[in-house]
Amino acid sequence: MNQYKMCMIPAVPLENVQLMKDRVVFPYACFRAFGESLRLVTKSTGDYPYLSYLEGAQLVTLPKEQPHMEAAIRYVSEHADEIDLLFLFGARGEYMELAHTYKTLRPDGIIYLKLDANIDWMSALPLFHKPFSDFLQDCDIISCEGRRLQSLLYKKWQRPVEYIPNGVYYPLYPATDDVRYEEKENIILTVGRLGDIQKNSLLLLYAYALAFPNLKESWELVMVGSVTLEFQSDYEDFCKRFPSLAPHVRLTGNIADKQELYQYYRKAKIFALSSRGEGGSPNVFSEAAVFGCSVITTGVDAAADMTDHGRVGRISPDIEDFDGYAKELTTLCNDTDYLARNFHQMRTYIKEYFDYDRLASRLRMLIELQLLKRRPS
Amino acid sequence: MIVKITDTCITLEEGADTFTLLKKPVFPHFHDNVTKRAYISSYYEAGETIWAYCQASMETLADLCHDDPYFGCYAMLFYRLYPLLLSSSQAKNVISYGLPVNCGAHQVLQNFMTFLQEGNALTILPQSPFSLVSLGRQSSHAFLYCLDVCPTLTAVCDAICKVKPGGILILYTIREALPAELSGLCPQAKKDRFGTCTLYTLTADEALSEFASANGSENAILSRADKILQRVNDLQEPLQAMLAGAALPTDVYTITALILQQTEEILLSIYDYLENDELPIRANNLKEAVLSYLVGIDGGFDLTDYREKLTQSSESFFAAIQKEFS
Repeated sequence: MNQYKMCMIPAVPLENVQLMKDRVVFPYACFRAFGESLRLVTKSTGDYPYLSYLEGAQLVTLPKEQPHMEAAIRYVSEHADEIDLLFLFGARGEYMELAHTYKTLRPDGIIYLKLDANIDWMSALPLFHKPFSDFLQDCDIISCEGRRLQSLLYKKWQRPVEYIPNGVYYPLYPATDDVRYEEKENIILTVGRLGDIQKNSLLLLYAYALAFPNLKESWELVMVGSVTLEFQSDYEDFCKRFPSLAPHVRLTGNIADKQELYQYYRKAKIFALSSRGEGGSPNVFSEAAVFGCSVITTGVDAAADMTDHGRVGRISPDIEDFDGYAKELTTLCNDTDYLARNFHQMRTYIKEYFDYDRLASRLRMLIELQLLKRRPS
Repeated sequence: MIVKITDTCITLEEGADTFTLLKKPVFPHFHDNVTKRAYISSYYEAGETIWAYCQASMETLADLCHDDPYFGCYAMLFYRLYPLLLSSSQAKNVISYGLPVNCGAHQVLQNFMTFLQEGNALTILPQSPFSLVSLGRQSSHAFLYCLDVCPTLTAVCDAICKVKPGGILILYTIREALPAELSGLCPQAKKDRFGTCTLYTLTADEALSEFASANGSENAILSRADKILQRVNDLQEPLQAMLAGAALPTDVYTITALILQQTEEILLSIYDYLENDELPIRANNLKEAVLSYLVGIDGGFDLTDYREKLTQSSESFFAAIQKEFS
């Protein structure tokens, strides 16, 4: 089996927190699965303490005096022979020259582009701009994070686009090994920037209020994340309007300590997502799923992927439909058998289809197929 | 580049170079000419003659398009079309692909053609190769084709198929190099070159029509459809073995995925002609299911769900293929 020298170059300089996100974690999983080396090439934005979680990965800091992409292109020009597999993240114009430079120097190399995109962004791409369409041509493998988006891209680009969802790198989640359904409580959990327009947090808050009288047991709503001033004010209005519900709704604020956050996932039976839109399945979904939470979501691009078309979760398609979301939430909370059964089903589903180790193995096979294609028949 | 018009001659000039576009025609046996129409008789009358109209047209063309890089091409198109348009009194159908609708050349050419014969038509096609296949075979007397818009052999052959026997296809370009795939066809053409502008004029005879039929999209689609069906046939056995849970060498999965990848690419190459535009993604989904199944085997994981997905993707793909191609 080939061992690849890998390199990941972000379109904009990496921050420490991004070392734990898909743009780095997936290349890292690939490195562990079939890599000889992995270089993360970026201009420095400060310290990178999270690098300690990525054993074996090498951070290459670009010179400060040059713009990030200019320095990255220079790096590729000088080190192309040390890069067999180039990871790019996002269909961004910044990459056009970089990809062309690499392909010119290493026509035998592989460029893998992980789109990290939603439908709105992809619809706005300048496909008729030749340098941009050439950039897409330079990419040997392109993947997107949702099947709905994949379907759109086939129609729009008429080229193969693989489905590789935002996944889970299990070595980063040792806390999931001993999770048991019996330890879970009647908690509906959400995690995100509360009050952010994209997160649509009010939908969840008021849907919970609508569902509350119909719940057979007492359920608590826990909202984790930084809170905008507007949402804080909305929350206070909510508490005044529904004083009997107020004790059941908790805003924890931002939780930076992952272990503390995992305790919430561990205890919650239900994870709620009320977003207006997401690029693929959000990281918080994957985290919730590995802890066996049943998911309820709005009809974001990846809703069907997250719930396996409603099998391991529920979808309330309309982002403005408070009654619909409340109805789904009520059904989910009251179906204790389903929640217990789904604890295992969700964990199995996420393990089988979102495990970055397995996805990395599939990417390796896709790379081998590309190499086979290049061979004279 | 300028147009120089005298009483007897219209030329293109650039520096010291000259290209003669048209000379005032002489009809020694006027009354025997087949084109006994009013506009011909007016040639000797005091009113506007064809020659005078042609002179005026070239002046207008120069006014409207002198900044257009294709100006020389448009002028030379007149040069090549003029004999055809005057060849008989039959109304002519001229099709243009790549000429912008709002281009001055369009208006000038259409006006000139209407002056010659009210029934003459200049049809401008949308700039999509798809528009080429929507026309009937041998439906035009002349086809004007901008090579810079779609420099593919398949599209050019589609255009040739739309030209009546004896009609002409004029390829024009301002690019220096010919696309490699056209290098076999263009040398057979009459070549006119002035400045950066080049015209290739081909007359639709039997040999050219045969060549075009063999290389046009209709034949390409049929041949690709054959390739798809051949690959689909190749897929049946390994997929059935996988679904039956047979122990297979790893190569079988890889080859199956490779065949699916090829199928997906061929399907994408005829995407515009597919009735079910989901077919390529179905092939991709099946390839994904095969690879996931192999990941499951390699990792020693429980294969139940992977096999279930493989079954679903396989059934969905084969049913869609059968519906499309049966």
